[in-house]
Amino acid sequence: MSPLQETSKESTRLGACLTSIQHCMISRNLSLILSIAGLSLLGLSSLSAQTTIRVRGSDTLGAKLVPQWAEGFKNAGHGVGFDVGAEGSSTAFTNLAAGTADIGMSSRKVKEDESTYCKTKGKFLKEINVAWDLIAIVVNKNNPVQGLNKKQVQGIFSGKIKDWSEVGGTPGAISIYTRNTSSGTYKDFMSMAMNNKDYAPSSQKMAGNEQIAAEVGKNPAGIGYVGLAYDKAPGLKVIPVEGAIPSAATIHTYPYSRPTFFYVAGEPEGEVKAFIDYVLSPAGDEITRKVGFIPIADSK
Amino acid sequence: MADSSSAPTAPVAQLLKRRTVWSWLNGQRLIRFFFGSNASITIAVLVLIMFFLLREGSMFFPTYQRELQIYRQAGLEYCDLVNKPLSEHGALLSRLNRAFMAEVALTAGVDVTRRNEALLLSQQLAEQTRHPRLLVEDAIAKPGSPEEIEAARQRLRQASQAAADKLTISSAFSPEEQKTLRAALATIQPDDQTPPAFVQNLVTVAATKDAQARQTHTGFQDAIDVFEEALEPVEELHDSMKEIALAIKAEAVQLHMAEDAIAMLRTAAAAAKTPEERDRLNQEAAATSTQAIDFTARVQPLKEKLPEYEKLIAEYVPKIQSAAAQLPKEAQSKPAVAQLKQFRVDFEKHLQHVRQSIEQMRGWDSAKPVPLTQALVAFVFGGDWITNSTWQDFYGVVPLFTGSLLISLTALLLAVPFSVAAAIYTNQIASPWEQEIIKPVIEFIQAIPSVVFGFIGISVVGDGLREISDLPFLQWIPGFPIAERLNMFNAGCLLALMAVPTMFSLAEDALQNVPQAYAEASESLGASKMQTIFRVIIPAALSGIFAAILLGFGRIVGETMVVLLVAGNRIAIPDFSDGVGVVFQPAHTLTGIIAQELGEVSRGSSHWQALFMVGILLFAISLGINFGARQIVKRFKIASA
Repeated sequence: MSPLQETSKESTRLGACLTSIQHCMISRNLSLILSIAGLSLLGLSSLSAQTTIRVRGSDTLGAKLVPQWAEGFKNAGHGVGFDVGAEGSSTAFTNLAAGTADIGMSSRKVKEDESTYCKTKGKFLKEINVAWDLIAIVVNKNNPVQGLNKKQVQGIFSGKIKDWSEVGGTPGAISIYTRNTSSGTYKDFMSMAMNNKDYAPSSQKMAGNEQIAAEVGKNPAGIGYVGLAYDKAPGLKVIPVEGAIPSAATIHTYPYSRPTFFYVAGEPEGEVKAFIDYVLSPAGDEITRKVGFIPIADSK
Repeated sequence: MADSSSAPTAPVAQLLKRRTVWSWLNGQRLIRFFFGSNASITIAVLVLIMFFLLREGSMFFPTYQRELQIYRQAGLEYCDLVNKPLSEHGALLSRLNRAFMAEVALTAGVDVTRRNEALLLSQQLAEQTRHPRLLVEDAIAKPGSPEEIEAARQRLRQASQAAADKLTISSAFSPEEQKTLRAALATIQPDDQTPPAFVQNLVTVAATKDAQARQTHTGFQDAIDVFEEALEPVEELHDSMKEIALAIKAEAVQLHMAEDAIAMLRTAAAAAKTPEERDRLNQEAAATSTQAIDFTARVQPLKEKLPEYEKLIAEYVPKIQSAAAQLPKEAQSKPAVAQLKQFRVDFEKHLQHVRQSIEQMRGWDSAKPVPLTQALVAFVFGGDWITNSTWQDFYGVVPLFTGSLLISLTALLLAVPFSVAAAIYTNQIASPWEQEIIKPVIEFIQAIPSVVFGFIGISVVGDGLREISDLPFLQWIPGFPIAERLNMFNAGCLLALMAVPTMFSLAEDALQNVPQAYAEASESLGASKMQTIFRVIIPAALSGIFAAILLGFGRIVGETMVVLLVAGNRIAIPDFSDGVGVVFQPAHTLTGIIAQELGEVSRGSSHWQALFMVGILLFAISLGINFGARQIVKRFKIASA
């Protein structure tokens, strides 16, 4: 026999042995394997029966407030899971259009071209006002400046006022910290405080409220803006604007207050509707106040 | 022959003689195809990546050209011709204000500083005694019995006294004043309407002194007011011009989106699931208008504002000239002197630019076409990367490119000495047990994820660098003291640390590959160990060391996470006036801008395409570095003996 034929005979014998062993093992363990598979399938199916509400959008809402609302909602007895992603208000609309979000949270109103884009994808957006937010201007706590007026705030953030001595502080260049372009707070601030002028080119773009708070807290010459819920961070001092400190009492006198929204594609239904009703209920209002936002009820 | 006993019969022989695929495809060939296909799949994936990048980014230049065309046709360029003098005026005003405040601070400065310090100390004290303070507030709010409230107040007084004794007060206060201040601060209760007497006195004195100082410099203040107000009519005119231009631009953009929108709405309607949805979508499509815009006619109102602008400028120039003439000739404080000197230089330039702006506006033509090369030049050499603006988006990569370049050069300068020296030491000089320790430890750095480096940069390196820069005996270093803790040097340090393992391993391998014969020949000729290393072995390994450096550089240029977290994210060309100290400023990078902005751009918009273009630029840079590395390696290679 040629070596090749010998090898093939050997391999057939080996193969036969292996097959018989496999048959033994399979017949013994088959029942075990089948039962495990069946149980896991049952388990998986029961897991998939739990709905997940996907929430995408604003960092202002999504970092603290929406997770707290979600916790409260779950503790109130609703068995849903939440998937919250907070990359900036603009991502709410891109995700709603793509169908990867059930609720879009936004700290600004939807833009014309964004709603047209969503319409072309078949999603007609419904806007629900869920809370009011006040944008606080914060400086380092060692900064001697006691207050600013609106013109000075606009001048500082647009780069016209370059030095702290111009507004009554110790002489030094002003370090401006803003959010980045995907943030709704960024755009809201531009329209509320800066008369739609562009930010100074020397401004530094941070990813979220917490980062701005950390940087301003560490930089004596820093100034930035954060949502009301973040103004208690260490090292920060809230500056009164035109004499008004941002709080629930001054919601109508403080110049930088804005409504925040949930957007849903079409009418909300099922668990999404239950969640939105919870958010607007007194229990949700409690949570809103605790986190540091202003519930709709208080804003009337 | 043994074969003949089991010789196959005639039909089977035919079967066996036929060459089938399965006989040709034996083990050897299978292995060859397996490895060959892996290589070709890798190349195919690379080609696919290049294809997708080019597909998304290549339409950028026509899109940007169209945007610049609208920028011109809708009159925004016209308005920006006015913008330049306006922003210069703002800068001049800023200098004047700074000079004025420096003059005021000369007389009133001491008292204002004392008042500020007292207020800051009372803030600090309030923070430190937060808990007793809250208890007092609760007792008052409940309301508790007078004994409870008094007890809470007493506890607060004790805590405040203890904290006040620990406060550091500067030498602006004499020792007795410091004692009085501490005692005064300790008496503050949360429901006090006015600060304690000592602090109130400081506030009043500071206010009086400040008013007095301003009184002495009324002439200066008046001149500044005249200077500021001179611009207001021009600014109003500019705002009205901007409104007209923005309205035309909005229509132009709508028109451009209209055709796409109608097509998309109609296809969505055709695919609609319910008749109501279909009707709704068709209605939306019908409501979108596609009438062309006559730009020349629409821009006419803007051009008609030119005579008004000229008239206002004719009033503006004498006003600011008279204001400049009223400025004090000799300022007393040093900062004021410097600012006023710079003001005078910039003022002349400003007047020139104002005159130029009128000429430019006269010669402006809204119908002048924008060539494709202008879009290319505006992208590659443009100094503004402004996105999401309500006015106009500009995509110029120079700020990002400068940031990337400076960070990479810093990192390279830091990493090369460390890695090459470590490689030489490990390979040539270290004893075997030292080698056992050094090599794995350095290579372990490669295993640390880049996000962890970013985190270390934010929390440790930033603060550490700032503390070092505050040391008095280091102030001769340009750029010290550092203003921002997130800056290019911070990113450079971390990137150097990340690149050292790559460069170290490759350099060490290059040194290892030098034939033993070289070292033996050198030593047999009587050279010492150091001479052998530096005169023979390193030159022989030079090509490999260069390759290692360039590969490390490629890794540094492409790093995203660290620069996004640590480099400061300022999208502006850094200020080179400090010389080498420019690296202590924040900047943004090519890689960081993609990571930061890609999350929110809508697919297919000009911003999306601009970001892909930046990606293509990065790709080209990496290819260039790799190509350069190979050329250098070829050039320096010594043929092996």
